[in-house]
Amino acid sequence: MKANSAHTYLGIFSLIIFFSACVKDTDFNQANDIVVSPIVDLDLIYFDLPAITFFDTIASIPILTVSDTTDLPFLNDQDIVEKLKRVEFSFRATNSIQREFQVEFQFLTEENEISYSSQIPIDQGTVASPVVTEYIENVEGEALANLTMAGKVAVSVTIPSSNQNLDGTIKLESKATYYLEF
Amino acid sequence: MRNLLQLLIVLWISLAISQNKQVLYGMTDIPQNLLLNPGSKIPQKLHIGVPFLSQIHLNGGSSGVSAHDIFGNSNEDINTVIRNKIFELSDRDFFSATQQLEIINFGWLAENKTYFSGGIYEELDFILYFPRDLAILAWEGNSDYLNYEFDLGQVSTRGDLLSVYHFGANKQINNKLTVGVRAKLYSSMLSFKSTNNRGTFVTVLGDEDSPNIYEHKLQNVDMSVETSGLASLQDLTGSAELSKKLIGRAFFGGNLGIGLDVGATYDVTNNITASASILDVGAIFHTKDVESYSVSSNYTLDGIELLFPPLLNGEGAPPYYDDLEDEIEREVPIDTLYNSYTQLRPTKMNASLAYSFGRSLDGSDDCNCKKTDGSPARNQQAGIQYYSIFRPKGPQLAGTLFYSRRFTNSLALKATYTVDSFSATNIGLGLVADMGILNFYLAADNLLGYQNLAKAKSVSLQLGFNIKIDRE
Repeated sequence: MKANSAHTYLGIFSLIIFFSACVKDTDFNQANDIVVSPIVDLDLIYFDLPAITFFDTIASIPILTVSDTTDLPFLNDQDIVEKLKRVEFSFRATNSIQREFQVEFQFLTEENEISYSSQIPIDQGTVASPVVTEYIENVEGEALANLTMAGKVAVSVTIPSSNQNLDGTIKLESKATYYLEF
Repeated sequence: MRNLLQLLIVLWISLAISQNKQVLYGMTDIPQNLLLNPGSKIPQKLHIGVPFLSQIHLNGGSSGVSAHDIFGNSNEDINTVIRNKIFELSDRDFFSATQQLEIINFGWLAENKTYFSGGIYEELDFILYFPRDLAILAWEGNSDYLNYEFDLGQVSTRGDLLSVYHFGANKQINNKLTVGVRAKLYSSMLSFKSTNNRGTFVTVLGDEDSPNIYEHKLQNVDMSVETSGLASLQDLTGSAELSKKLIGRAFFGGNLGIGLDVGATYDVTNNITASASILDVGAIFHTKDVESYSVSSNYTLDGIELLFPPLLNGEGAPPYYDDLEDEIEREVPIDTLYNSYTQLRPTKMNASLAYSFGRSLDGSDDCNCKKTDGSPARNQQAGIQYYSIFRPKGPQLAGTLFYSRRFTNSLALKATYTVDSFSATNIGLGLVADMGILNFYLAADNLLGYQNLAKAKSVSLQLGFNIKIDRE
């Protein structure tokens, strides 16, 4: 074999390598269709209040409503709002006080305007047999848009009547399931 | 997540077991073969690489997924395809990329018959193991995975950008044995490493004593990332500043290290030749611009407890959320350390056994002699090669069958068939041609993959030009 034909081989080999290389049968535009849609379950707020919370022993008068507030700054975080498609709140109350309760969640904007609210009626129980009330609230569409204007939540617990002999506790647990899309 | 995915795919396309140069190994007509085995036989008395063109090496791959697997034309929804792939891959699958660019390379035969060689090359080396559990968590969320312990220990990655200064000596001890050694000085421009992590994240339903519906638990978490050369780059603006800084580090301005290559070739008989080499036994000592982050924690998140304290007029509620953030920062502290650390280089091993046959190269019909330089006296060789590289999760291995043939004094070809973590159908081809004193070589593997790059899980390519003067 002469040097010339060697160079021909060299040329052919190089050409085969570099020009036969190609990308086939693929559609990289599909990258635009990639949607990451995780479903994230997270604990929300909880409390455990004894019956005496609802009676002022010093002034000897009932306290029919107690309230508390916490920031939830992730709710109106624009990065999250754009990706949030649905939220499902789950509440579980365990009541051993002989009274029904109303628990109200008021989601508040920075200006303290109520953008979304939710009322949960809680059945009465006894110390001997506490009653569990479960409640699920699904939030999507326009309601979700309202919810995500809020950055904090005010929780109020209301008892219809109270006296210093009431016994038991009201325990509330909650979680939220966030349906996200990236 | 989506950006990360696209980055991985681009990495994959732009760029085998990383750094395996099975086609080049043993091709004694290519001076760069000395970098794979400093104890190789050497037919030339002088070589000078064409600066910046003497070796260009690109290599990239993923062990478990090709672009075609994800983006192939099919009726199936791409999100289903990706989901299935995430579950199909294991945490031992990986994405890797290597790139080398030789800046200079030279060598000469001294009067004492020792062949000295040296040079400078730049190297990029990256590997990311697939963190399967984190991918599932990111893709699916935790909602359907109650009680499933997501393994944070699957996070394992390292990357290096460095320049290597090397000088070696090679000597034929007798007509059977050739040995060589090469000293290396590493100047690291950038480096990061996150290996030996452990810990789990799990969401469980709370029991009677739990304050809330779930318990989100970080258990026995002990994770760290070591970086060097990265922290000072964060303040830079513009690519001009960045490249100026990196080039400065390439010339001994970075973190320095030392290493050693050793190798030998032994003619067992006139026809059978064995060779072996160990490369990059060494370490880089990261002392400058070092920043490491570590976290170790056992923590359970229950949500926010409301206390309903009696409030006086105008008094605000307690800062529950800020308190929770503070608690997390306290219980899951991310420590930043500036301690020096030593990083072992990924050591590589090569070995081969070759059988020579065919036409005698010295023109005589029966060859009872060896060429004085010990190079193959016959025009064909066949044999086996072994390669391994030490990686964070243990060595990666490759086995190769090869056949090489010299057609003329100026042209030799080598074909390889390699089985490794990427595929069992890796065919490679290498060519070396001498045109006068100009030496050109080209080697590529995964040739079947070139028919459709999208289907190839790895691609490797080396080419270069040298000036070479053979021994008489």
